[in-house]
Amino acid sequence: MQAVLRVLLKRLGTSVIVLIGVSMLIFAIARVIPGDPARIALGPNATAEQVEQLRTALHLDQPIAVQYLEFLRDLGQGDLGMSLYTNRPVAQDIAQFLPATLELIFVAGALMILIGLPLGMIAARYRGRWPDDLVRVIAMLGVSAPSFVWAVVLMLVFAFFLPIFPVAGRLAEGFDVPTVTGFLTVDSLLAGDPAAFVSTLHHIALPAFALALSGIGQAARLTRANMVETYDRPYVEMARSYGWPEHRIATRYAFKPSLIPSLTIIGLDFAAMLGNAFLVEAVFAWPGLSRYGVEVILRKDLNAIVGTVLVISAAFLIVNIIVDLLTAVINPRIRYSERAK
Amino acid sequence: MNRVVKTASAALLATTMLTAALPAAAQTVLRLDEVPVGELDPAKATDNADSILMFNAYDTLVLPAQGGPGHVPHLAESWEIDGNTFTFTLRDGVTFHSGNPMTAEDVVFSIERTRALGQGFAFLFTIVESVEAVDTRTVRITLSEPYTPFIASLVRLPIVDRQAVMANLGPGDGEMGDWGAAYLSGMSAGTGAYRVVAHNPQDETVLERNPDYFLPIAQGAPDRVRLRYGLEAATVRTLLTRGEHDITSQWLPPEVLRALANGGAQILSESGTGAFYIKLNTTKPPLDDVNCRRALAAAYDYETGLRITQVTDDWAQGRPSTGAIPVGMFGSNPAEETLSRDMDAARDHLAACRYDPADHTLEISWIAEVPIEERFALLMQANFAELGFDSEIVRVPWALFTERVSSPETTPHISQIFSNAQTGDPDTLLYPMYHSSTHGTWQSPEHLDDAEVDRLLVEGRTAATPEAREAAYAALNDRLMEVAATIYAFDRNSLFAANPRVTAPALSDPAYAFGLDGMGFSFRLMDIAE
Repeated sequence: MQAVLRVLLKRLGTSVIVLIGVSMLIFAIARVIPGDPARIALGPNATAEQVEQLRTALHLDQPIAVQYLEFLRDLGQGDLGMSLYTNRPVAQDIAQFLPATLELIFVAGALMILIGLPLGMIAARYRGRWPDDLVRVIAMLGVSAPSFVWAVVLMLVFAFFLPIFPVAGRLAEGFDVPTVTGFLTVDSLLAGDPAAFVSTLHHIALPAFALALSGIGQAARLTRANMVETYDRPYVEMARSYGWPEHRIATRYAFKPSLIPSLTIIGLDFAAMLGNAFLVEAVFAWPGLSRYGVEVILRKDLNAIVGTVLVISAAFLIVNIIVDLLTAVINPRIRYSERAK
Repeated sequence: MNRVVKTASAALLATTMLTAALPAAAQTVLRLDEVPVGELDPAKATDNADSILMFNAYDTLVLPAQGGPGHVPHLAESWEIDGNTFTFTLRDGVTFHSGNPMTAEDVVFSIERTRALGQGFAFLFTIVESVEAVDTRTVRITLSEPYTPFIASLVRLPIVDRQAVMANLGPGDGEMGDWGAAYLSGMSAGTGAYRVVAHNPQDETVLERNPDYFLPIAQGAPDRVRLRYGLEAATVRTLLTRGEHDITSQWLPPEVLRALANGGAQILSESGTGAFYIKLNTTKPPLDDVNCRRALAAAYDYETGLRITQVTDDWAQGRPSTGAIPVGMFGSNPAEETLSRDMDAARDHLAACRYDPADHTLEISWIAEVPIEERFALLMQANFAELGFDSEIVRVPWALFTERVSSPETTPHISQIFSNAQTGDPDTLLYPMYHSSTHGTWQSPEHLDDAEVDRLLVEGRTAATPEAREAAYAALNDRLMEVAATIYAFDRNSLFAANPRVTAPALSDPAYAFGLDGMGFSFRLMDIAE
């Protein structure tokens, strides 16, 4: 347990340094990309005086270093500034849009684990036979096309030609679920409304599946490759010689050691989904942070860009820390090597 | 395996049943979409979505007359004009969504707030010298200089509930704090026929009928409206086909509009307020020679340009242009005098130009966010090549475009913009484009400096009678054609695909059209079949 704690503290320390670096970098980059944020925010009809007034109000007439120090001072008070895109505090925007994206990627991540890993196990277990071929085709299909292509294809098939899933949004009209966590699946359960809960699942199914497909393919292929390698290990042969059932060998001796690389990839995919979710969110009109992030970049909304990137970076780091911890828990060698240090 | 299939089938069935078992909505709901964000604060509103929200949640002192020029009373019962002073008598018995009565103090506050925030359409009210509440029903506005189209500007002045805003001032500099900006970004405080019940600027705004509205609302008008933001074309197409959407935005690609029209959707339109302009930088050789500009204007293939905008046999996103002022707007040329390509004239003009086309490469820019402009750029490249001009097509993001046009040296030879009259009056369309005091904006990449144009623009905004103004604009139209700073490619015709259950006279019958972008979306005038 002490070793795991040491891993955690070490990762937290480096994460803070990474976040400071990211904030400096994105703060500078956002300010050098072409376009005057004040002009974009005020719209095409604003006069030069109005634009200048806003530039002064945003401190854009000051050196970048001074602007950054002011940003850090405000950040220390939990203030990420105002968004020029929505005219609201950035923190309020993030608090509103982040849960929708997190909910989407949690469900997509769950699908990656629940579908990708078993598919990989099946492929390895039936290596060279038709289930292996089938899984390979599914995996290649998932990996070869980006999420937004799948989003459009899934929408066309399951919402247009076979209208069994909803096209857009998070909840059917007519439901009124009070916001507690921002996760509608959770909030609908907290509200004791099973019909709303089913509606949220109904709405999230297609976007989450579209987002997860690539990860499902990767997880399946990686799990298969690692399990196939493990199946050739002497300890598996020994287990067979003891006459243990094949499913027990698969889950206990072949799958567990193969899980570590798969877990690492799933962790990375999980974090990358925060960025990739944009087009899926756009196709399914999912009011999430990824869509917000892209819109604010296009509009050069400086505060919102920095805020969004910081939150996504933090999420990326948190997921990686969790993966590191899980790996340490699963793999005794990693645990012991940490302890040895 | 059978058990798995059975379980999955049961789950799907249960899902479908539960979803189908939703209580049938007793209300009629209108669903439409626009580009994000939906800005609810009327003092910050600029885009189409903002206008739609503004015209439904708020009211203005006057409204554009339907089907023709001029304005009719709305919150103002009547008005008198004495030189630079405008005196309005307000309608009695109008209440805000909060229940507060609408008074002259609210009008004064609305102007002061708009000017203080300095955003949105505040530029229309910089000439207001003073505004005072003479009594609860009388407002006097004095301008610092003569400005005849001021009545038209008032269609961009929504009246806000002073008491409600004052009770919700947020932190900010000075006594008035943020002038209620945070408060009005999340809810409506107007007298409008609809009030906001939920608002997420990136996702959707939900409005419902105001039962206390001071005018009758059509029986079949929607009870509830969902204005969604940022729907993708594929999503809109699927939703409309499934009957889960009612009116699309005007930003759909022509192919999608065509597919929807072929699939049974009706097409609604709004026109007469703007046009598509091909702007020539009059300061850069060879376009600093008027004859070269005239040659390009004559060589441009207007007919093919219009075909690019064609959606169906009956509908196009453009209408033939007759000059600088869109057909239907005050001062425009007759509809039958359309512009057309004339290569003989083009060659004659070129012969008079002091530059040799072979010595110059024209930079033709198109705005990255408006893909259709690339097609016009290609058309121009082909057209102008016939005169011997080489050209280079450059894709410029909007943010960069606004920077490039700030100086004549960095402004491309040729720029393309869609522009509208913000108030429906030609002054707000032409003055920012052509007056020499307004150089360096996205509207004026011509950098035109012509004393006669300046004089006529001033005359257009100061002449006392409609006849005198019309004469000024007719002369201006002629002069602008003469200096050929712009190619008037086509008049804009905004098209919207709509569910056939929607009846929207202001968007389908010219006799009911408002001549102001977004006002056709006054939900109170629509009819939604059950």
